[in-house]
Amino acid sequence: MSTSKVIHAFYNDDDVLMDAVKQVRAANHHIEEVFCPFPVHGLDKAMGLAPTRLAITAFMYGVTGLGVAIWLTYYTMIADWPQDIGGKPNFSWWLNMPAFVPILFELTIFFAAHLMVITFYMRSKIWPFKKAENPDPRTTDDHFLMEIPVDGNEEELKALLASTGAVEINVVDNH
Amino acid sequence: MSSHYEAPIREPLVLGTKSYHDITEDIARPIEGSANRNWYIAFYISLAAMLWGFGCIFYTVGTGIGVWGLNKNIGWAWDITNFVWWVGIGHAGTLISAVLLLFRQKWRMAINRSAEAMTIFAVFQAGLFPIIHMGRPWNGYWVLPIPNQFGSLWVNFNSPLLWDVFAISTYLSVSLVFWWTGLLPDFAMIRDRAVKPFQKKIYSLLSFGWSGRAKDWQRFEEVSLVLAGLATPLVLSVHTIVSMDFATSINPGWHSTIFPPYFVAGAIFSGFAMVQTLLGIMRKVTNMEDYITRLHVEYMNIVIILTGGIVAVAYASEFFIAWYTGSPYENYTYMSVGAATGPYYWAFWSLIIFNILIPQLLWFKKIRRSFIMSFIISIAINIGMWFERFDIIAIVLSKGHLPSTWWRFEPTFVDVGIFIGTIGFFFVLFLLYARTFPVIAQAEVKTILKSSGAHYKKLRDENNEH
Amino acid sequence: MASSKKYWQSVEELKGSSIVETLSKNEFVEEIPTDEFLGDKETLESSATSRRDFLKYVGFSTAAASLAACEGPVRKSIPYIIKPNDITVGVADWYATSMADGFDFANVLVKTREGRPILIMPNKEANGSTNARTQAAVLSLYDEQLRLKAPRKGTEAISWSTANTEIVAQLQALKESKETVVLITGTLASPSTEKVIADFTAAYPNIKHVAYDAVSASGALDAFEAFYGKRALPNYQFDKAAVIASIGADFLGDWQGGFEKSYSAGRKSENGNMSYHVQFESNYSITGANADKRVVLKPSDQVFALLNLYNAVTGANVPSKATPADATVKEVAAALVKAGSKGVVVTGLNDKNAQLIALAINDALQSIVLDTTATSNVRQGDDTAMAQVVADMKAGKVGGVITYNVDPLYTLANAADFVAGLEKVSLSVALSLQNDATANATTYALPTPHFLESWGDVQAIEGQFGLMQPTIKPLFDTRQFQDVLLQWSGSTATYYDVLKEFWNTTVLAGKSWNQALHDGFFTKKATATVRAKSVNMTSIAAALMSATKPSEFELDLFTSTALGDGKQANNPWLQELPDPLTRAAWDNYLTVSMADANAFGFDNPVQDNGAINGNYANVTVNGVTLKNIPVMVQPGQAKGSVGLALGYGRTHGLKETMQVGVNAYPFLIGGKNIQYGVTIEKAAGSHKFACTQVQKTIAGRHEILKVASLKDVLDTKLDPKHSWNKPTYVTYDHQEVEASTIDLWDDHNREVGHHFNLSIDLTSCTGCGACVVACHAENNVPVVGKHEVRVGRDMHWLRIDRYYSSEVATREEAVASGLSGGDLYEVLENAAENPTVAFQPMMCQHCNHAPCETVCPVAATSHGRQGQNQMAYNRCVGTRYCANNCPYRVRRFNWFNYANNNEFDFNMNNDYGKMVLNPDVVVRSRGVMEKCSMCIQMTQATILTAKKEGRKVAANEFETACTQACATGAMVFGDINNPEDDVAKLKEDKKAFHVLDAVGTKPNVVYQVKVVNTNNA
Repeated sequence: MSTSKVIHAFYNDDDVLMDAVKQVRAANHHIEEVFCPFPVHGLDKAMGLAPTRLAITAFMYGVTGLGVAIWLTYYTMIADWPQDIGGKPNFSWWLNMPAFVPILFELTIFFAAHLMVITFYMRSKIWPFKKAENPDPRTTDDHFLMEIPVDGNEEELKALLASTGAVEINVVDNH
Repeated sequence: MSSHYEAPIREPLVLGTKSYHDITEDIARPIEGSANRNWYIAFYISLAAMLWGFGCIFYTVGTGIGVWGLNKNIGWAWDITNFVWWVGIGHAGTLISAVLLLFRQKWRMAINRSAEAMTIFAVFQAGLFPIIHMGRPWNGYWVLPIPNQFGSLWVNFNSPLLWDVFAISTYLSVSLVFWWTGLLPDFAMIRDRAVKPFQKKIYSLLSFGWSGRAKDWQRFEEVSLVLAGLATPLVLSVHTIVSMDFATSINPGWHSTIFPPYFVAGAIFSGFAMVQTLLGIMRKVTNMEDYITRLHVEYMNIVIILTGGIVAVAYASEFFIAWYTGSPYENYTYMSVGAATGPYYWAFWSLIIFNILIPQLLWFKKIRRSFIMSFIISIAINIGMWFERFDIIAIVLSKGHLPSTWWRFEPTFVDVGIFIGTIGFFFVLFLLYARTFPVIAQAEVKTILKSSGAHYKKLRDENNEH
Repeated sequence: MASSKKYWQSVEELKGSSIVETLSKNEFVEEIPTDEFLGDKETLESSATSRRDFLKYVGFSTAAASLAACEGPVRKSIPYIIKPNDITVGVADWYATSMADGFDFANVLVKTREGRPILIMPNKEANGSTNARTQAAVLSLYDEQLRLKAPRKGTEAISWSTANTEIVAQLQALKESKETVVLITGTLASPSTEKVIADFTAAYPNIKHVAYDAVSASGALDAFEAFYGKRALPNYQFDKAAVIASIGADFLGDWQGGFEKSYSAGRKSENGNMSYHVQFESNYSITGANADKRVVLKPSDQVFALLNLYNAVTGANVPSKATPADATVKEVAAALVKAGSKGVVVTGLNDKNAQLIALAINDALQSIVLDTTATSNVRQGDDTAMAQVVADMKAGKVGGVITYNVDPLYTLANAADFVAGLEKVSLSVALSLQNDATANATTYALPTPHFLESWGDVQAIEGQFGLMQPTIKPLFDTRQFQDVLLQWSGSTATYYDVLKEFWNTTVLAGKSWNQALHDGFFTKKATATVRAKSVNMTSIAAALMSATKPSEFELDLFTSTALGDGKQANNPWLQELPDPLTRAAWDNYLTVSMADANAFGFDNPVQDNGAINGNYANVTVNGVTLKNIPVMVQPGQAKGSVGLALGYGRTHGLKETMQVGVNAYPFLIGGKNIQYGVTIEKAAGSHKFACTQVQKTIAGRHEILKVASLKDVLDTKLDPKHSWNKPTYVTYDHQEVEASTIDLWDDHNREVGHHFNLSIDLTSCTGCGACVVACHAENNVPVVGKHEVRVGRDMHWLRIDRYYSSEVATREEAVASGLSGGDLYEVLENAAENPTVAFQPMMCQHCNHAPCETVCPVAATSHGRQGQNQMAYNRCVGTRYCANNCPYRVRRFNWFNYANNNEFDFNMNNDYGKMVLNPDVVVRSRGVMEKCSMCIQMTQATILTAKKEGRKVAANEFETACTQACATGAMVFGDINNPEDDVAKLKEDKKAFHVLDAVGTKPNVVYQVKVVNTNNA
């Protein structure tokens, strides 16, 4: 963005916001960001955001977890220090495997869940001591904020946004 | 408003004429306001109980497990009873937020936050017992898969107790993450309202700097969905594995193939009962009457009847099998004539009364929808479920294979003290939570306000938009 | 150490020549010069010690202090400067010696480690056998609480020399004045000692030697003397017997002892010749428990039954009375006559006439079981003589009393008279091992050594000599009784010389003394040839009749398996050894029949903590009343009779915790173990018993302990697997197979190397409990005390389960008889009024598919290559899951620290007691699980010895503590991979079965079906 200014348009109703987003995009304006106090279904599509791939990562993490579990049970119980425990077949992982099913399952879940959430935090840049970036405190309460870069068409934009039912429109310097 | 259509016959889940901002206000009030007298009374009682319990724990660790009532033939009693009891209670939260999410049950939103909190606090208590019940708790870390210092002596992955270690720790950590992720937007809300700088600092720390971008919300919902998908089998697995502590053993009465499903049902049963108990208190203390409605209570009671029914059937089949085998060993399982007429008849009958008979009252709609009755019944179920575990452990161990090893168990003040202590600890945590955390997932509730809010439903009726 | 640079701040200082001195003074700084620092400014400034130095000092001293603090606890251990050439550290030395404490006599082997005796085992070459008390005697050696440590006069310590001179002087004086001096000893059975005494009495003709037994066999001795002209006890070779009729003789228990070996040798079903044993008794003794047929009879009826038996066998017609058991008596008489010389009658009534009748019957039968040649010397006490002594003392006719190894103040019924007598004598000396009541009542108390510290010899059986040799330097300032006598009689020889000389001249007949000392025994053909005198049976019977006074209640006094006559009452191993029948430890009690209990309202309710309580009773026997005797309802006790064990209630010198039970000796009037005219009244209060087993019956679970009749076992047409030794069958692939053969996975190969098995023959196991104590000693099993036993926390690795029969044997029968619900449980769980009893030694079964191993989260218990189920104590975190998952409940948890803990002030809490600990076995800390290890330290030692000697382990070379201690050979241990080992055959025996085979644990402990001879029944 060459510009140094952005418009902050405030809405106080999710339905109004949805229509507004559609109109603004119809008018070929680029919507920089929308801040909402709660998830608005379909907003991402309306804004044309690409679908997230976190689910896929979760699957891969799960597979990793399963692998680790298999290795751990095999290495500790069969390879490294096999012990005759209650006559269980310590000479074959496969024969002994039924006893390991709970471990395999738990570790799969453990890896999938935790690594996915960590990925989510990283991608969305949320972690302890991270400073919040929502421009207005009301966006976590009951207001929706649409951020549009100004490209010399400030007045036109204001008019458009006002027509979409924005309750407040500020032009602020981009930082 | 068509996007928020909901069949008008459905009862509203949010009462009163609420706007998004009102919800914010309601949720933030307990945190920003100061606690009332009742809260302090409850808190100090719990704190006293907790400290007493800690005292008993230190005494045990300092002197030896001998200060408990155990003996050569009954190696577990209150310790593992309490462990299983707490784990069971810890099942409702994740179940509500995960399973009900998958089933798109909107009514979960008002209660899942507290239910999950309860889950986590309950699992804390549960986790305490496997550690302190060890003869040498200071070596407790040996149950982790790390080689010992003299060579590669590893843990025993054949042991159900080790499965527990993995199941409980996975369950606890995943529930915690699930809970916390859901909390981020609400913490952010508190953060942005906070006026006191200290409060602002704390909550901006807790909220991990949540900003509520459209993309964040997109990922947020995806993560919630996948976590729900993972947590659902997890929550079912936990009590399955706990039940294997018994099911995989060779003691008549423990060695039973129906344990896993039956324990899971029992866990949900007790978990929902505990949710009822807590919400019954909380909705009053934090004035959340508009969000935790009769409808919520009724829904939970329906789940209780269902799971309670499963448990009752399980008891019946256990009893039948014990009798039907005609084996002199099965004659003395916790569900048998031997138990009903033996020295532990009182424990047997308490179980039947509290767990089977009393919950049947919930078949009546009036009782099902009555706050006070649900509260009383939920207490009864909590007691009944404790007796279930006590019976399974103590009665079975008291009548082993060899008659020469038949013995009895009597708790000492330490056994009792530790149990009371964990209850105190649990309530301390929950009371602190109720004062500092957004007790209702406000962001989620806001999404259903238009569809299920009483006010909006009325509006729709007026300009009949259906 | 001051810095070489010197910053001077004032001219004075520069001028001042003090610097050099200061430097030199501080060149080697000893302590921190604090005064210099705490002094005023000038001194501070002029100090040669800079701030840095000060910090150095402080740093150093702090470091030093903390280092000192880190130092571990100091262990006192002195290395051998010159190693004794027969001691190799870490290798046990075994010495053959003999035990003779006046009550128990045995040829034993003593295991010593680094010069400490730690274990006593039977000397099998000498055909010796040990009971629980013999096994435990090694701990009594270290009993610094009760042992007399130094000579004493009154209450002051006194040196041996002064004591001797004073006593000799007084003896001389008494000799001059011709006043009688009585030397009271227990049964010595020691030829050399008798010689020493003879010399002593020769030196002092006024000395009279009296043998006195706390629990005497005076009646039997007198009878034998009257019949065969020799004061000795008849010996019995029960292995030769076809029919054994015992009338109140607990010959496997407290009756002189040592018969279990020959008894069980005569009861081997495999070779067909199994004796038929009928027991008439009032108390439930372990002999009665082993009998094929047990008839309850109150003592007076036993007398009449004996007379009736005499009449029935000999056809004579001496006066008698009818008894409830006459029918049985007739059967038994017939059986005896049929058996002829292979029949034998024994009676435990301590009464000359009764014993004469028994001898007469055996004489009539020409019994070869009764051995009148190799007679027994283990009881020599003469009740009448002793009674006379006490009377004389009281009458002031006695000038002096010397006691040795007896405690009449505790064991005499009329102890008061003895005390009164002591005040009248001018000289009273107690030569005693223990600081007991008598040693405190006499003027002089002179300590004698324990038999493990002594030289000596024993002739328990005529012609069978045993040598006693020291296995450790005396722990205290003790001198042997014999040495003392020698000195008093003016001899300069030591007893050792006398002993050696005596043996070389009279015993060995030219054979080597060293060899005899090495073997610990020497056998000679017994010379005594005796012939029956004729006695008038009718008058004897009449006398017996008149002496027998049938009364509503009759008291039968006995000595318990654990404490015997009470000599070792301060021995925690014995106190904690449960009674074989009642399974009660730390107590004696009045055993009352169920019927009488109901009449009096006595019962033993089970408490919520599993322990049982009992009522109290006040018992009066002609004038003597004992208050608050705890009551135990004993199934199989004869109605109208009560039993009470002697040897308890000892207080003097005993540790507080050991002062349990009531002293029953006041009832042992005239040494008679049967007392008539007993009155009982219920007293207030409830007693806390400490029982290791609460459930009485097997509750219809007969596959746990299988019993078969001799007829079935010998019947070759019967297939045991489908009749009397039926395993659990399941259907697999539509055909019936043994449950234990079904397996989920491939099994491990167990053919390689050794694979240990233990076989236990339930027919031969008499329940004597020797193995339990042996296990205690070998494996450092802790003693936990009465309360902990009471609440079910005994630590025994090996226990002997006892099962009474119920009125209805099996569940099927009960159902058939129309019982159901609670009644069904009732009838199976409660013992019959007059039940049979079966014993089952139970220890870790070392399952090949051990449930305990599977559930341990930290793999602290796993399976060894030799078949043991092993416990890694220091890996155990103590979840107790293994114990819960053990179907045999043999795992024991350390609820507290049992060592070095004043709460458990037993042998592991004092330096003497710790000397008995086996260095090869670790003492477990609190919070860990422990259990039978199949004495892995012993099997490993055996393997290593073989390895060192470059050979294979010989057949039957492997042993465990319990198998070594087992006198009857009921327990056999060995390697099933060695076909030569007996256990390999026993495992495949048709009588072999596994307990709870249905569970599929595949145990390495195999039991042999208990066989009962019901042919004559």
